[in-house]
Amino acid sequence: MRIVIAEDAAVIRAGLAEILADRGHEVVAAVGDAGALQAAVADCKPDAAVVDVRMPPGYTDEGLRAAIAIRRDHPAVGILMFSQYVETRYAADLLAARPGGIGYLLKDRVANVAEFTDAIARVAAGGTALDPEVVVGLLNASRHASALGALTAREHDVLALMAEGRSNTAIADRLAVSGRAVEKHISNIFSKLGLPPSNSDHRRVLAVLAYLGT
Amino acid sequence: MLKLPLAVAGLAVAAGCWLVGLFFLTFPAWWALLTHVLPTPTAVSKLCRPGGLCTTLPGSIHTAPNPHVLVTIDGIGTVNLAQHQLVLLPLGAALLLAAPWLTRAVTGADRSLIRRLLGPASLADRVRALQETRARAVDDSAARLRGIERDLHDGTQAQLVALAMKLGLAKEKLSTTAPADMARATQLVDDAHRGAIEAIADLRVLARGIHPPVLDNGLADALATLAARSALPVELVTDIPERPSAAIETIAYFSAAELLTNAAKHSGARHVTLEAVHVPGLLRIRVSDDGNGGARPVPRGGLRGLADRVRTVDGRLDISSPPGGPTVVTVELPSHA
Repeated sequence: MRIVIAEDAAVIRAGLAEILADRGHEVVAAVGDAGALQAAVADCKPDAAVVDVRMPPGYTDEGLRAAIAIRRDHPAVGILMFSQYVETRYAADLLAARPGGIGYLLKDRVANVAEFTDAIARVAAGGTALDPEVVVGLLNASRHASALGALTAREHDVLALMAEGRSNTAIADRLAVSGRAVEKHISNIFSKLGLPPSNSDHRRVLAVLAYLGT
Repeated sequence: MLKLPLAVAGLAVAAGCWLVGLFFLTFPAWWALLTHVLPTPTAVSKLCRPGGLCTTLPGSIHTAPNPHVLVTIDGIGTVNLAQHQLVLLPLGAALLLAAPWLTRAVTGADRSLIRRLLGPASLADRVRALQETRARAVDDSAARLRGIERDLHDGTQAQLVALAMKLGLAKEKLSTTAPADMARATQLVDDAHRGAIEAIADLRVLARGIHPPVLDNGLADALATLAARSALPVELVTDIPERPSAAIETIAYFSAAELLTNAAKHSGARHVTLEAVHVPGLLRIRVSDDGNGGARPVPRGGLRGLADRVRTVDGRLDISSPPGGPTVVTVELPSHA
């Protein structure tokens, strides 16, 4: 895959490039600010971009705003945002823009090489990859706390993993249960939340989060 | 309540000076007038105005030949003004000349009274000054905290994330046994090790910028370390028999550090002197260099910030930096904030 990196700390930029190269991806551009990111995406048309939320000159949400612009102008480019802190509001903004092809990870998560490369693969394929901490934030922000109260503990776990954008197989592995058990949980969840069942991974995420009021 | 009597007294003195002075000065004319108008000896004890309104004088004025102008005032006595002409003329002139000064003296009391009543009291001034310096101290401390967060985020945190990424990759390589992977893993661990050492050094510098541990031993030791680290040769003179309070030591240390950095970066000097003297109640830090001079506090500049910080503890910053040098910057701080 062809990937653009946008991160202002040089050591992290180099580390990300190293991991992606190790997986056989091609880093077509590695930039340090939002302006250079938009230019690089326009020029190189990558499959995905890994973008830090905070970048010069203001160090607030330059990366986020650039990401929203890119999703509008180049819908085929998947975007994996990452940030030192969980900003639930930013995740909500990103999801609101358009379904699919979006991810939001904590920088800590990047240290787990397998998770990071998995996330970027999902995002490039048009799926979703939300950090568990971000999901907790979004679920807590939900207004439908009573509906969540109707779920069993196991259904809660499945719901959280679903909201991260994981496939049924991944959920089954994570919870050490069979694929059929996961499917059963999911259909229970959808009926308790009053949602129609859905096959595509990112449509499930969005259905859940839309219901939960993001 | 005070102003009215004062004003009346002022008016009386002023009017009195001018009128009496004028009268004495022009006495010869009066005398001539009187002897012509009243050729025969006359006593005047009443002054009457046209229309018949008369005032009785508290005495009388007699004119008599040869020449006499007797003025009698009841209860005081009689004086012959004609005899004393020679005295009266210069006296009148003197009174006229002195009149402005006398008037000013009397109204001077009036002026100082107005100033006391209408001007700002010194206590109100002090309160305003304290409010200003407190606001600046609060802003300063908030800005420093933001600076620390940025340094940690961009420096230490970034270095640790990069470290974790390298070690994560190395772990993957080590879980297989292919020789190419082993070589790669060794390389990654090597890089990670170097990165960790750099992170430790950077963090040490960061912590020192927040509070230097050597300062706990006292200002003399801390300034000695500063002098040793400086890019220019620094001659250090300290005389600190008793330690000032910890907050003052901290401000003094960071002031000296900033001034030494300025000297090294901007002055083009070849030699710098750092003096620190503590007399009872006052700590004085002085940095002098033999550079180009021209140091000025500019808005948002380092010297302005330093001056503000020094003022929050009622200290003073004095800069002597003529173009061409030498530059001497003196910081005076109280022993206890």
